[in-house]
Amino acid sequence: MTFYFAIIGTKDNPIYETEFGTSKQGGDGHARFPDEQRPMNQFILHSALDIVEEVQWVQKELYLKTVDRFNNLLVSCFLTAGNIKFLLLHDSKAEDPIRQFFADVHEAYVKTLMNPFYEVDMRITSTVFDSKVRAAAKKYL
Amino acid sequence: MVILSILILNKAGGLIYQRDFNEGLKKLSSNDYLVLAGTFHGVHAITSRISPVPGSGGLEVLESDQFRMQCFQTLTGTKFLVFAEPHQPNIDVVCRRVYELYADYVMKNPFYQIEMPIRCESFDRHLMAYIKPKQ
Amino acid sequence: MSNLHNPASPFVPFSPNPAIQSGVASPTTPLSISQKTPQLGSSNLRYASSRKSIYDRHLNRTQRSELSKASFAFLFGEMIQYAQKQVSGIQDLEKKLNIQGYSIGQRLLELLLHREGRSAKRETRVLGILQFVAQTVYRHLFGKPADGLEKSRDNEDEYMLIDNDPAVNSYISVPREMSQLNCAAFVAGIIEAVLDGSLFPSRVTAHSVPTEQYPMKTVFLIKFDESVLERESVMPNN
Repeated sequence: MTFYFAIIGTKDNPIYETEFGTSKQGGDGHARFPDEQRPMNQFILHSALDIVEEVQWVQKELYLKTVDRFNNLLVSCFLTAGNIKFLLLHDSKAEDPIRQFFADVHEAYVKTLMNPFYEVDMRITSTVFDSKVRAAAKKYL
Repeated sequence: MVILSILILNKAGGLIYQRDFNEGLKKLSSNDYLVLAGTFHGVHAITSRISPVPGSGGLEVLESDQFRMQCFQTLTGTKFLVFAEPHQPNIDVVCRRVYELYADYVMKNPFYQIEMPIRCESFDRHLMAYIKPKQ
Repeated sequence: MSNLHNPASPFVPFSPNPAIQSGVASPTTPLSISQKTPQLGSSNLRYASSRKSIYDRHLNRTQRSELSKASFAFLFGEMIQYAQKQVSGIQDLEKKLNIQGYSIGQRLLELLLHREGRSAKRETRVLGILQFVAQTVYRHLFGKPADGLEKSRDNEDEYMLIDNDPAVNSYISVPREMSQLNCAAFVAGIIEAVLDGSLFPSRVTAHSVPTEQYPMKTVFLIKFDESVLERESVMPNN
């Protein structure tokens, strides 16, 4: 299992992205996307934004579950109160672990936002944030 | 308890606040109030120097047949003068309460310039609300 | 991998993860500054003396704690004086205060929903978000709900949030020559950010409406963007 994760700001601008593999069932946590797949990942997530914009008015939860699919790939979304979208591209269904992963990332995001030098929609370049996301991925996915 | 009038003096002896709470007080011209404040400031300074006890804070109470005046000086030199009817006890409590209102509604007001005359609506309002029920 | 560096790609590579940036397929754990031995001036990141970053702080620990009103009054007073130095008129000053509040509102919205945990719900309706502001946001900021929420009789897109005695104005007396000014524009900024953040773009302004009983009474006038009403009209079960 391989994952691609991106955070999209309020103006559909990416503010963070990363990729990782599963750490469960003996996985080493490394992403295994074929080279030609990588740019596709971004397109798939980008096209899922339209669906998120529809679903967000129907579903009030922050975790919107799986919103889109592309071939055998699924897109799960978590939408924060401030309309920041966490999008995860994954290849097998795992609702609860993804929810927990998103919850941890959300906490790290809110902490990022508490930084007075960080503004909404700014890229997240903090290495601590990055390691928090990786730790959450390792723990749940 | 009848409070007649309250004056506030800045540390240079300038009058920054004056208000009467009773009808029938003799009205002075604003210039005379300034002179009164300046004179008191000087007298206060003298009394603190000529006191036989070292470290005296200066004049605190002045009592006459017609009124009793209580002076309260803060650590920064601002003086609160409360004029009341004679033989009133606990005027110092009033002084402290006025000081508290001053600290809240004057000093915390971003539009107040320090040492300048006090023109703060909420200070007036809260001072009135405190003194009125006492009359 | 090369596509990430292609300028035509809408996604610009910036991930702190070097595996994505450098084009090396083997991902290495990103360098964590905290693991490095501290060298003076070697890093552009600064750490508190406790060696803890904002990520080590607990988000819920200060949930119920209260601030000294006096220290807030002094801080807010300084903010007003600072803003006053850079503006030419009262409207300008209110705008500055609004902006100062705005960045707080953006953060507050996210924090409040995060604290609700799994039961957190985003608001999708105008009334829902207004209630959220009047109840949840107000309670968090001032320890009490807003004193009233009314719909404007004249304009479909206007709502009024009423505060009989705004905590931020407690110690403030506005000089007569600036009587138009209401420093609760700061709170208006917070409200505006919460509404904007929840996708209810609006303009919020603070107006003094003194009454005999409440001399500090303030009305926050909330004017929603056209798009909000349009969306509201097509929402189901209306």
